[in-house]
Amino acid sequence: MDKFVVNIIHRPEMVPEYSATVTGQGKEEDIGDKALLTESLDIFKTQQRLAHENGLKVTIQMTYASLFNDEAVELAKHDHEEYGDEIALSLLGLPCEEFREKYKTKDFCIWMFSMEDKKAIVNDVFEKFHDRFGFYPESTGSYYMDAELTNYIKEKYPTVKCAVATCWEEGPKAYHTCNNSWYTLFDGGPWAPWIPSKQNTHAPAANAAEDSGIVAIPHLSRDLIACYDGNGSNFGTHPQNVLRGMIYDTKTWEYPYLYNLIDQYRDLAKYNNGYSYNMMFVGPGWMNKMGRWEQPYELLYKSYSDGCKYYGDLKKEGKLIDMTMAEFADYYREKKGVNAGNYNEPECAPWRDILYGSDKQLFWYCDPYMRACVNMDQGGAIVDLRPYVAKLNWPVGIGTPHVQDASYPFLIQEKYRAGYFTHYAGAGTVRSAKLSYKGEEVDLCLCPTHSHFSEEVIDGKKTRILTLDPVEIKFNGVTVKLQTREYFEEGASNIKIERNILEISDPSAEITLDEYITACYGTTEYPEDMTGITLACEGEGGETINYEYRCRDAKLDGASAVSAVIPAIETKVSLTASDKALGYIEEGYAFSPMFKLGYKKTISDKEVFATWLNLEKAN
Amino acid sequence: MAQLGKGKLNYRCPSCFMRDLDIDMFYNKDTGIYSCIRCQYRGTEADVLEKNEMVRFRYLDRAKRFTKFDFD
Repeated sequence: MDKFVVNIIHRPEMVPEYSATVTGQGKEEDIGDKALLTESLDIFKTQQRLAHENGLKVTIQMTYASLFNDEAVELAKHDHEEYGDEIALSLLGLPCEEFREKYKTKDFCIWMFSMEDKKAIVNDVFEKFHDRFGFYPESTGSYYMDAELTNYIKEKYPTVKCAVATCWEEGPKAYHTCNNSWYTLFDGGPWAPWIPSKQNTHAPAANAAEDSGIVAIPHLSRDLIACYDGNGSNFGTHPQNVLRGMIYDTKTWEYPYLYNLIDQYRDLAKYNNGYSYNMMFVGPGWMNKMGRWEQPYELLYKSYSDGCKYYGDLKKEGKLIDMTMAEFADYYREKKGVNAGNYNEPECAPWRDILYGSDKQLFWYCDPYMRACVNMDQGGAIVDLRPYVAKLNWPVGIGTPHVQDASYPFLIQEKYRAGYFTHYAGAGTVRSAKLSYKGEEVDLCLCPTHSHFSEEVIDGKKTRILTLDPVEIKFNGVTVKLQTREYFEEGASNIKIERNILEISDPSAEITLDEYITACYGTTEYPEDMTGITLACEGEGGETINYEYRCRDAKLDGASAVSAVIPAIETKVSLTASDKALGYIEEGYAFSPMFKLGYKKTISDKEVFATWLNLEKAN
Repeated sequence: MAQLGKGKLNYRCPSCFMRDLDIDMFYNKDTGIYSCIRCQYRGTEADVLEKNEMVRFRYLDRAKRFTKFDFD
């Protein structure tokens, strides 16, 4: 039977996020405001009650501030005894009088502190937790947990086995939504639970040596189309986020979208060996008695109550299993085969639009070597690609090269680097193909379709396959019917894309297929320095180009590979082909800071031509 | 004119919301006008509510319940 697992998490946050800017607007800051403390604890109690009334188990993530509050500690102990809730420790909610006095800073995001401070804070909060409860926690978390922080925690407090470790695609888009004042810059991670590598939190471990020792869960389960395109904080399993997105009826206060979102996650069990996952984690600031933006308290309360009821009803119907975070960590390692030594089972998520009425469909894929997004609305083009194979060491926080930017770099990101469409000149990042005939050219990005998922064993290797519905390309005088299949072989660090020429109306027509990837690297919308990148047509008589923005190109008939080495992200990306074809490389220029790799081939009726996109670590 | 403050509810600017920006507006209790300090939007509560209905135009499926998520 399929298992849909939910983690419900609450935190008694004594000074909730937003309290200063919402309830405290027009007042001098008072972090020890007693009325605020009382209200915050009341919200926590309300959240606990709503979960328990619906028969749901909770992971209580104690905040540092709450460890100084006797009532919060007693509540946690009581609910642990009464309902089996897990008492865990959050690294969110640091702000309080005691913290400010001790650390002399208003910083509050654990990943942004210096390593020295991270260690001191971890020691402080874990020991304080032990003082209050007599044991060390098994679960922890923040909005982001950098690898160095996780490694330190695991070394010092080995009881920890689960952590909230990222917010999916909460990068530049969230920053922008908050008028460039919300510094959660961590795009590029998994959307569903994973085992972080010791080298980089986003990149899943490929083996036991890389295993950080924890199971990571994302903060919320997010809409894999809406969050990629828009503000991540409007489209997740956080009922008040759905209200923030104004996705409710103002007259009836109904929000079917929230239930569609949960149900689409449930549906993902079909693609992940019968397992799917949700996480709901609402901070008390979102149930503020003063209301939150347009929503009065009554609507905030109703949405959380309804969210708990929906999960609770699914549980009663036998369609959901509620677990604490620590329970989930054990379940996950067993279910994914990690206990048997397999770290390579991917996470797969075909995802359809459930909000805008577009019928668009994406496919998200994540394993220890890459995260990729295939866009069926663009003919199966790869529109986002993160080369996890590099396991890039990327320390963050004060004293590192990346104080705030914790994103895993991309090679392709269609929203930040144009994708298929560009203005006036140049190219954007995408992996696609073009067909041309007598001067006409059609890119598959303009051939919307849908796909179907299957899992097969090919040459002894488990392979996930996307089979796209055929598309017809009409040139002046000839029509080509083409079907794309994309293969994700477990542990292979590549994506095979196969074009099946089903029919050419005039079999004598000379049609050229151009398989290409246009790429760059970065973590934001802004270009990076491309010098240092080396492009190569590999094979006898091959050429290389050292990137200097000079718009050069080279080609080689029968190239064994066309490749780019990007030292800044320690990554080599290449294309290889199933048959002899003309390999080419193109350097970009200042107005188009990209590189392009490709193969061109004349195709014939019923022909099958495949290319592989390969990712390797280069250092 | 006295300084601006918060209104009954903490309305965001509907014009900025349309471009994925959450910007709290401030309220003039003498005129009953909410104004955005980032863009040029100004309006009464009634106007804000009307514009908030308008911004939902892109959520065509906001009232629909889905039972099928694949295209098989």
